[in-house]
Amino acid sequence: MRQFWLLILAVIFWVMAVSTADVRAQEKKGVPPNGSEEKLSLVEAIVCEDMKGSTPVNGAIVFSSDLEKIYCLTSFDPVPREMDIYHEWYRRDELKAKVRLTLKPPRWSTFSSMRIRRSDRGPWRVTITDQEGKVLRTVRFSITE
Amino acid sequence: MDIILNSYILFRLYVLFRGTHVFRVLIGIALLWFSQRVAVALGLVLTSWAIQGITAAAAFIIIVVFRNEIRSVLQAKNLKAILWGVPHRITKTPIETVIDTAFELAGKKIGAIMVFPGMDDLDELIQGGINWDGLVSREMINSIFWHDNPVHDGAVIIEGNRIKKVGAVLPLSRRDDLPSSYGTRHRAAAGLAEMTDALVLVVSEERGTVVLAEGSNVGTVNDKNVLVRTLEGHIGSTKEQWGYRKKEKREFAIAALAALVLISAVWFSFTRGQERLVAFDIPVEYVNRNPAMEIVDSSVNAVHVGLSGSGTLIKSIRPDQVKVRLDLSTAAVGRNSFVITSEDIGLPPGVVLRKVNPSTVEVTLDIPGEKVLPVQVDWVGKLRKGLMLTSAKVFPAKVQVKGGKTILDTLSTIYTEKVRLDQIEKSGSLEVKLALEPATLKIAPGSRDSVTVDYFVKERVSSLPAR
Repeated sequence: MRQFWLLILAVIFWVMAVSTADVRAQEKKGVPPNGSEEKLSLVEAIVCEDMKGSTPVNGAIVFSSDLEKIYCLTSFDPVPREMDIYHEWYRRDELKAKVRLTLKPPRWSTFSSMRIRRSDRGPWRVTITDQEGKVLRTVRFSITE
Repeated sequence: MDIILNSYILFRLYVLFRGTHVFRVLIGIALLWFSQRVAVALGLVLTSWAIQGITAAAAFIIIVVFRNEIRSVLQAKNLKAILWGVPHRITKTPIETVIDTAFELAGKKIGAIMVFPGMDDLDELIQGGINWDGLVSREMINSIFWHDNPVHDGAVIIEGNRIKKVGAVLPLSRRDDLPSSYGTRHRAAAGLAEMTDALVLVVSEERGTVVLAEGSNVGTVNDKNVLVRTLEGHIGSTKEQWGYRKKEKREFAIAALAALVLISAVWFSFTRGQERLVAFDIPVEYVNRNPAMEIVDSSVNAVHVGLSGSGTLIKSIRPDQVKVRLDLSTAAVGRNSFVITSEDIGLPPGVVLRKVNPSTVEVTLDIPGEKVLPVQVDWVGKLRKGLMLTSAKVFPAKVQVKGGKTILDTLSTIYTEKVRLDQIEKSGSLEVKLALEPATLKIAPGSRDSVTVDYFVKERVSSLPAR
């Protein structure tokens, strides 16, 4: 009888050990424990005057056309797998540029930039979309004098 | 249509006012007007002015002086009678009054001769006489045949309840078989009765008898009832009214024809003559548009229309009488081009289209729709050095707009009117209207046409130089 209970306990321990190992393996691969893929999440989107490494400098919603360049930084956490996203730069409703950026798990920050001129004054927006074209966020700003 | 309508109005005026004093004065005014036109045509400026003044005054006076008569004509008739009906003035002859009076005259040995026309026209056979048109009454007949009355020797013509004519001279009979006691009065009665279907009643002055002449029969009648029946048989309503109606119909036919000729003459005097040009800016009306679509744009709102016609017509024409209607039944969604033809332009009769400018109209049609759009502030100007506009919250963040579906499909953002940065020193809030472009775009009911913007400003802290 004692041997029977010992056998039962051994089976329980074995099952627990196997399932814990699976979870660890899945965590390593970036797959959620319940089996469905973790969703890409955009945690920050900002337009700024400059980038210092991966840090935005002077994030704002109005930029002078005297600046040579402006940047759009996007940070994702988590990034379930290596994938592409797009930064679509619009002046009013006219598409000016579409930049493809690659994200890598588990989290990733990336940016695109736009060279600006006096003729670019007006309301702008950057639409951030995933590779299926789904809009993740729209950042609105203006280029002025 | 113009001629027919005005002819009918003139004809109705005749029907309603015939026999009244107003009608005669109206004819007078018409003659004055005609004289004025002739004077104008001949270049008699002063005369035409004078006649014009008299005509205007006469028109005013006629209303004042004849107001009672006009009122009685208009009040006595309902709308149907005014527009369509024909007032029949026929009334039955008061036979018993006539016969009683005849026997009364016979008793007094006063001679008399009374004619009751049938369907034959007596105008060519009767000579002389005085038009009377008085109501038949015992006193009237007595006074006409009174010895001292200048017309007592002549015959009276009785139609309906009126004595139409007195002192009429009738043709004499040439018959030899008439009694020798019959005088001229009897021969006249027999003469007219032979030649026509009229019935003639004679009162013998010498014997005090009443003699009736009908056809070739001439004889004394002593019984009043026999005479009543005979007269009723002759001027019984059907026969008398038939004759009267026939005459009335002829009169109306002539009046209608005269009205048509007169109005046609006036019309042609208007439409002919010296040609004159005129131009108007006429708004374009769009008709037969598919209800599912709406006009979102058109190249013009009005076209310049050049017209010509007679001086009188052109002088009287008003811009609202000219219509430019474009048929949109064939129009599709998008831009449509229409050439304006003469069929699209409605003109008063007699006026000729000379030119249309522009001759082509571009019309853009679209299917109406609604869309929810995010609002973005349109910042302009220059922010003070050292300041940064870091964020702004717009309330409401989205608004519902309506407009053409084609236009809505191209829009993804609605912008505010321009907001200047120059005055901004610190964080704050402002109210700004939405800029609806294109102008055909409208804010949907329930949405605001302005938004509140809460903006946040901070001093620049950066290694980048402030520019």
